[in-house]
Amino acid sequence: MRRETQNILLVLLGGALLKISFSGLYLRYVQKSLLPLLIAAGVTMIGLALFAIIRDIRRGKAADDGHEHSHSSRSTWLMLLPVLAVFLISPPALGGDVVNSAADTNQTQRSRNLLGNLPSGDVIPLSMTEFVTRTAWDESGTLDGRRVKLTGFLLRADGATYVARLAISCCAADARPLKVRVTGDVPALPDEQWVEVTGQVVPKSANEKNSWVPSFTVESFTAVAEPVEPYES
Amino acid sequence: MTITGEIRSSKRRSGPPRLKITSLEVLCGILVLALLFQSRLVDLLDVPKLRTASTVFVAICVQAMPFLVLGVLISGAIAAFVPASALRRLLPSKTALAVPVAGVAGIALPGCECASVPVAKRLMQQGVAPAVALTFLLAAPAVNPIVLVSTAVAFNDTPMMVVARFVGSLLTAMVMGWLWVRFGKMEWIAERALARLGDHSGQNKWAVFAESARHDLVDAGGFLVLGGLFAATFKTFVPVAWMQTLGGQIVLGVIVMAFLAVILALCSEADAFVAVAFSALPLLPRLVFLVVGPAVDVKLIALQAGAFGKSFAFRFAPATFVVAILCGVVTGVVLL
Repeated sequence: MRRETQNILLVLLGGALLKISFSGLYLRYVQKSLLPLLIAAGVTMIGLALFAIIRDIRRGKAADDGHEHSHSSRSTWLMLLPVLAVFLISPPALGGDVVNSAADTNQTQRSRNLLGNLPSGDVIPLSMTEFVTRTAWDESGTLDGRRVKLTGFLLRADGATYVARLAISCCAADARPLKVRVTGDVPALPDEQWVEVTGQVVPKSANEKNSWVPSFTVESFTAVAEPVEPYES
Repeated sequence: MTITGEIRSSKRRSGPPRLKITSLEVLCGILVLALLFQSRLVDLLDVPKLRTASTVFVAICVQAMPFLVLGVLISGAIAAFVPASALRRLLPSKTALAVPVAGVAGIALPGCECASVPVAKRLMQQGVAPAVALTFLLAAPAVNPIVLVSTAVAFNDTPMMVVARFVGSLLTAMVMGWLWVRFGKMEWIAERALARLGDHSGQNKWAVFAESARHDLVDAGGFLVLGGLFAATFKTFVPVAWMQTLGGQIVLGVIVMAFLAVILALCSEADAFVAVAFSALPLLPRLVFLVVGPAVDVKLIALQAGAFGKSFAFRFAPATFVVAILCGVVTGVVLL
């Protein structure tokens, strides 16, 4: 591959990184804390390419024009794939497909600082992670009788309806699914529609047999837009 | 008609006909085609499995790129600012003794496996013995503080896991280094990986830095994408649901978790969170997962094949795989 083409590819790839960084779309793929690194990587790529381009222009021609690096030329083309994926396809955040095929649903960990007292108030907004962790580990029943608000997407499987969400620790490749079985008045919304549900947990409904999926009696259902941060962390 | 006529006449004027299509024209062609067929492409990918695969693919690339960039910057800095003689003075002259030093030096590179490949290659080019560079390559992604802290956070109930991971990974890296001293052959490594840089004494050091970094990035970037493609495919299409049934069978569990580490190609900063989720399994298979993952996975094999050549990667990766499983098991039996 020619040096000029390599430089253009680098600018495109760096541009793709910057595009998803500034548009917020990066949250579909990676954790929030990676943002500064993403921007730095994009700027560095473009910078390295521009440095080479300017140097070539000053010298009048590409430094190693002609002897194409045969070993690297073919694989370098692959760098075009993420560029095309980001600019043309812009893959959506992971959703129901991952939850349905996952083996590790609701695998939470006991963590001491998470199992403190719930804040007071009529409706307590909780992350799915905290809600599922409490239903699995909290023996004292702090959730029982409390009205809780959860945010996730709808999913129907095996005749039951679930509200599900994914949590990531680094990127979407390590997504862990969380789901809650909802009972009560479920409106006719399509699968993968994002919702806010308010209701109460059915006490002691999460156990090893149902792989720690708690039941949730819904009092109100609100369809909402996909959150900016589709994953919990 | 007139246009073709013009082109023909200009050709004739410029001497011998040169109908060479360069990569630049190909690139433009691909971009134009992709733009034209964009909606067709989007429709084609509108199948749940393919959508998942494309998201995971982009996620792996996006996640790994910053670390690859960090790696090539360090590699470029070594090329420009660290003379080969300084490296030689820093390391013990006996290779077998330099191996553990390189392993421990891995603590200083806070990145995942993508960063260590370009750095290891550059070390070789600067005259560091391959065994030493390879030990660094294997140790760095597994024993650096960021990885250890994230392991401690994930396994907050079993702090020994952090120690076991550190020891197991360091052991793997050093055993591979010593094995290379004993059995390794220079001719397995592609010549381009060992080619010394030309004499840069007359050149501006910053130019050497930028050019080396750019060259390494272009070299490794494609292979990283290739590894991401493999990992996304495996992650999406290999059913992992049956693995929960492995529970009690420890030998099978170890083997399956080792293979899973290879095909999932998780970043070493995240794999502990995935390992902790396999709560149906005992700790030993999960430790093997953490020791194998940073040392050998599809993304890393692709990067190694790109940096050191296929004949190297196809010997080194299986050997590392076996050594990592053994080291993981031994460490786990002793410490857990």
